[in-house]
Amino acid sequence: MPHLLEIEDLHASVGSKKVLTGLNLKVNAGEVHAIMGPNGSGKSTLAHVLAGRPGYQITRGSVTYDGRNLLDLAPEERAREGLFLGFQYPVEIPGVNNVYLLKAAMNAARKHRGLPEVDAFEFLVLVKEKMKTMQMDESFLSRGVNEGFSGGEKKRNEILQMLVLEPRLALLDETDSGLDIDALKVVSNGVNQLRSPERAIVLVTHYQRLLDHIVPDQVHVLAGGKIVRSGDRDLALELERRGYDWVLREAAA
Amino acid sequence: MSIPIAEKLSREHAALAAALPVRVVSGARRRAAIDELLARGLPTGRDENWRYANLRALERSSFAPAAPAAASDTAAWSTLLPAPVAGFTRLLVIDGILTSDAGAPSALPAGLELHSARASDSQPATGTPTATPTPADAAINADADERFALLNEAFALDEITLRTVAGVATVPALEFVFVSSGAGAVYPRLRLEVVPGTSLRLLERHVGGSAGALTNGVMAVRLAPDAQLDHYRLQSQGVEATWIDTLDVAVARGADYRLHQYAVGARSARSTLRIRLAEPTARVTLHAASIAEHTQVQDTYARIEHAAVQTRSVENFRAIATGRGRVAFNGHVVVRPGAAGSDSKQSLRSLIDGADAEVDARPQLEIYTDDVQCSHGATAGKLDETMLFYLLSRGLSRETAQSLLKWAFLEDTVAHIADAGLRATIEALLAAHLKDPTIAAGRRE
Repeated sequence: MPHLLEIEDLHASVGSKKVLTGLNLKVNAGEVHAIMGPNGSGKSTLAHVLAGRPGYQITRGSVTYDGRNLLDLAPEERAREGLFLGFQYPVEIPGVNNVYLLKAAMNAARKHRGLPEVDAFEFLVLVKEKMKTMQMDESFLSRGVNEGFSGGEKKRNEILQMLVLEPRLALLDETDSGLDIDALKVVSNGVNQLRSPERAIVLVTHYQRLLDHIVPDQVHVLAGGKIVRSGDRDLALELERRGYDWVLREAAA
Repeated sequence: MSIPIAEKLSREHAALAAALPVRVVSGARRRAAIDELLARGLPTGRDENWRYANLRALERSSFAPAAPAAASDTAAWSTLLPAPVAGFTRLLVIDGILTSDAGAPSALPAGLELHSARASDSQPATGTPTATPTPADAAINADADERFALLNEAFALDEITLRTVAGVATVPALEFVFVSSGAGAVYPRLRLEVVPGTSLRLLERHVGGSAGALTNGVMAVRLAPDAQLDHYRLQSQGVEATWIDTLDVAVARGADYRLHQYAVGARSARSTLRIRLAEPTARVTLHAASIAEHTQVQDTYARIEHAAVQTRSVENFRAIATGRGRVAFNGHVVVRPGAAGSDSKQSLRSLIDGADAEVDARPQLEIYTDDVQCSHGATAGKLDETMLFYLLSRGLSRETAQSLLKWAFLEDTVAHIADAGLRATIEALLAAHLKDPTIAAGRRE
């Protein structure tokens, strides 16, 4: 079976700064991958490049998603094809309410698949069920997107959107940052609900503690714009104990 | 004033003078208005306060008012009427004339008196039969730079007087639909008096056909002590229309004037707002939004005068310009000597979408008293790229995402409206001009 996501020799720059310098990664449906690495190693850039954020120049390499050239697709097309980015810093959009965005996003994907718009009642039932999972009050629905949300509420809202949209590939960019222990459990629980043989999840994180709750199939260390080491979850535990220096030294050797 | 315009004005007035109703404005006053206009000229783009307005239509339009017969030709305008708003009693003003049956006492909500100067020897209609109408106050005052008010005075075919009546428990809600049915000039003329301690909700809608009428309206509002007025004005004239508006408001002690003004229509629109906080503790709040698309011009000049102590004004203005559209807003605040303790806030924010679009938003403060609180902020920018990407990353089309962000930007001028039906009407009007009429509906789910 072909990989759901296959990144080959990806080079990306912001202005004159080279951020990704030959990154390779293969993710199969059904897998959870964790990408760790020191600050400035290119983790967030990778997530943004995959989601299609403007401002990055792809200078070399390829990204194949579900057999298609991902880099040819506009951000909204990637989303409709089942790619989801959970933002590290979700933006506040006062005046656009949460439930409207959820529904518009869901209908955009349905339209793309030739399905009719979601029934209003079924939609609300679905959203309320997912909100229970995320332990969010229903009053969040009528508020502006992320407007006045605490950091933790914003992260829950990202996962709520993910659960409603049911992406085939979820990229979660430091979804665990800024969460207290309880919120971390809620968010992890939400992410685990999405795990299935058809879907894949890529977690970008600094901290091993997330991986206690969401157990990854593979762990990668991203440094200097490329993946320098891969392993199973034990690698994350070792990084927690020993830091990144030894990985970087071995990679340089 | 250019010689052709002056000649046209003089000629057209002379030809019509005998036919213009003296009951509305006396022949002498009409003549005086024309003389003053000929002496001073109509505003042009060279006048500082008019530099953003598009007054080119004055060169080609006739000043002679549309024939009164148009009012009875319902086919000419009935399709232009917008859907009613629940709770608001509707009155029609067709080509500047209050339609006859609309003024019947039965049509009015309790707490209001209405009078049409044109209607033949009729008594003022009243929703409260026991009330005694007071005589109309002095003529609508043409301020030093309100020359379009003079033009209105010279040609008006009707003058509508509306007055609240004290002692009514409910707050009356009234809607005027001002229709410019054809290509002729239209001169709506309305005088409103909110008597002491009373409240009114007044909705004005300005609509018109595609023929490109020149509409030049004048409205004078007096809020007596402790009166309250919620004044909603929705301008959605036809795409070829020229719409010129002069609103003159005086607010007395303890009175509260809340103006909510939305401009999306006409080829060229200019609204001149003069609001005088004449007595201590008078207040005004102005929420306004303008959208200019294609080659539209939406120009607003708002002059708020703090003429007494402890007066307060708040202005919240939002502008969106796309295509070759242009929005101008001049928020001119004057604090008179002795108006100590005045408080004035202005927030002017603009969104410019496109290389040829233009917004000129200008706070202008003239302060002659030390003890005042005046703040103002003006920002202009493009759509926020971070927000846009967030919406795209959720699968929304670029067009929908842009409409949604524009909507969110304007929403600030609408969100405060408590009446859900009215708010929905205004939201739908704005949303229709953001290329996606569904966005307003979605907001309320």
